[in-house]
Amino acid sequence: MSRIVVENLNIIKKTDLGRDNYVIDLAPFSKAGAVKPGRFIHVKIPRTDVFFRRAFSVYDINPGEKSISIIFKVLGRGTALLAGLRNGDSLSVLGPLGNGFNLPSTRETAILAAGGIGMPPIYLLAKKLLEKRFDKTKLLFFYGGASGADLVDIRRIKKLGLKLLPATEDGTLGFKGVVTDAIRDKIATADGKFRIYACGPEGMLKAVDRLAGELRMPGQLSLEAPMPCGLGVCLGCIRPLAAGGYTRVCREGPVYNIGEVLL
Amino acid sequence: MTPDLSVEIAGVKFKNPILTASGTCGYGEELADLFSLSHLGGIVTKSITVEPREGHPPPRTAEADSGMLNAIGLANVGVDRFIDEKLRFLEKHDTVVVVNVAGARLQDYIDVCARLDDCPRADMVELNFSCPNVDWGMEIAKSPTRAEQAVREINKVFSRPVIAKLSPNVSDISEIARACEAGGAAAVSLINTLVGMAVDIDTRRPRLTNNTGGLSGPAIKPVALAMIHQVYGSVKTPVIGIGGVMTWRDAVEFFLCGASAVQIGTALFVESDAPVKITAGLKKYLSRNKIRNISELVGKLRKY
Repeated sequence: MSRIVVENLNIIKKTDLGRDNYVIDLAPFSKAGAVKPGRFIHVKIPRTDVFFRRAFSVYDINPGEKSISIIFKVLGRGTALLAGLRNGDSLSVLGPLGNGFNLPSTRETAILAAGGIGMPPIYLLAKKLLEKRFDKTKLLFFYGGASGADLVDIRRIKKLGLKLLPATEDGTLGFKGVVTDAIRDKIATADGKFRIYACGPEGMLKAVDRLAGELRMPGQLSLEAPMPCGLGVCLGCIRPLAAGGYTRVCREGPVYNIGEVLL
Repeated sequence: MTPDLSVEIAGVKFKNPILTASGTCGYGEELADLFSLSHLGGIVTKSITVEPREGHPPPRTAEADSGMLNAIGLANVGVDRFIDEKLRFLEKHDTVVVVNVAGARLQDYIDVCARLDDCPRADMVELNFSCPNVDWGMEIAKSPTRAEQAVREINKVFSRPVIAKLSPNVSDISEIARACEAGGAAAVSLINTLVGMAVDIDTRRPRLTNNTGGLSGPAIKPVALAMIHQVYGSVKTPVIGIGGVMTWRDAVEFFLCGASAVQIGTALFVESDAPVKITAGLKKYLSRNKIRNISELVGKLRKY
């Protein structure tokens, strides 16, 4: 059986989160059960003038109804067209693609660092860990953005019942400052072994990479790159590795160890 | 009646006329996660050079209207690793293996092809005389004399059929096709990408670090058809069509213009299982039109 499939999925639910952010739930996806946190799908916008597929980290999964969810913000032509779709519309989905996060050991405290619209894989990781009965008190969910309104779908995160630690640069919600300062602040007074997981804008990932390197904290980052094929054949989504050479974000990534990729 | 999709080109039997194009399917490993490579008539590998190449720095692909630009810069594992690893994987599959070869000078092509001659499952080689993204790539492509000499020299070291892949970025593609035929090319494949450019108006930079790249996809299909039609009329050697084939309908247009087989390239980036769907579509088309063998369509364009 194929490990990767192309399937036409229906939009079974579209949720407007406000400020051009949307969640869409797609079903039935035969590989819903194979989606580990950090993996992504490649979605064909049903228009000929948007040529490439668009990559989205899987946000949520409901194996019962074989549905998967993605979050997106309208930023360009592709996402604008996606936002115009309705319940019942069909989308061609290629996936599941890429590699997921390595889970922390039970002795570790997991620092989950989400930034803006990069929150989806971090949410799914938290959800998976809780399903695996990972100790809730050892799960610190940091969520950063420029302002409180940039933190999307907070209600769903809160429903997980874990400690959510928002950080906003303008101080409208939670810690005032960037997410890496919030993390530094928090763990300065905490004991234990930490492992960090991050997904968010490039600047934030750079800061997390630096912070984790400085504190010798292991962990992983989920990266983004413009991605034509998603399969590893076009060699378009490459990024330079610290050890030299390039890596294909779609195939070897999108999840990388701290320090592995030159950011 | 079950229609027969098999074709024979230069004595090599293909189970169907659908191949994957060089640079769009790696060395086959990734596509095998999606469908069995035995569905393919053939697979044309990424261009192989003497030494491994990293390629150009990113960004090296950009979206275009109905297509894309790429300037990968011939990133590949080099002939040694290709033979040791990649060909070992490919030879397990029931499909024709065409190894695309590139070089900075004629001697590089000769060296790579001589190595491949010792590998029986390198069924054919396709010479990349037309990569627009490396400064020396066009040298052979533009000169009929050099093209003819190159094919002749390569034929001396590679004992199986040699395909010459032609560039559309020349003033007369038929002239180059005839030269390759005179040099002993068993087939010609065309077209490679057209030189193009895209600009980010916010950063005021080209969208590719290489400034220009090769345009591919549906945007170039009309150009490909016109050139295939032209070349088909001027050489006896079989023509393999390339350029924006997305559907079985596109493929039928290519056959009618004179292609004996087609290569699917950029379509793989968008509809990854396109070869499987195209083959199925062709089969139905032949049945519906009571055509026994796909080769009956080749060059059967009606005149006004």
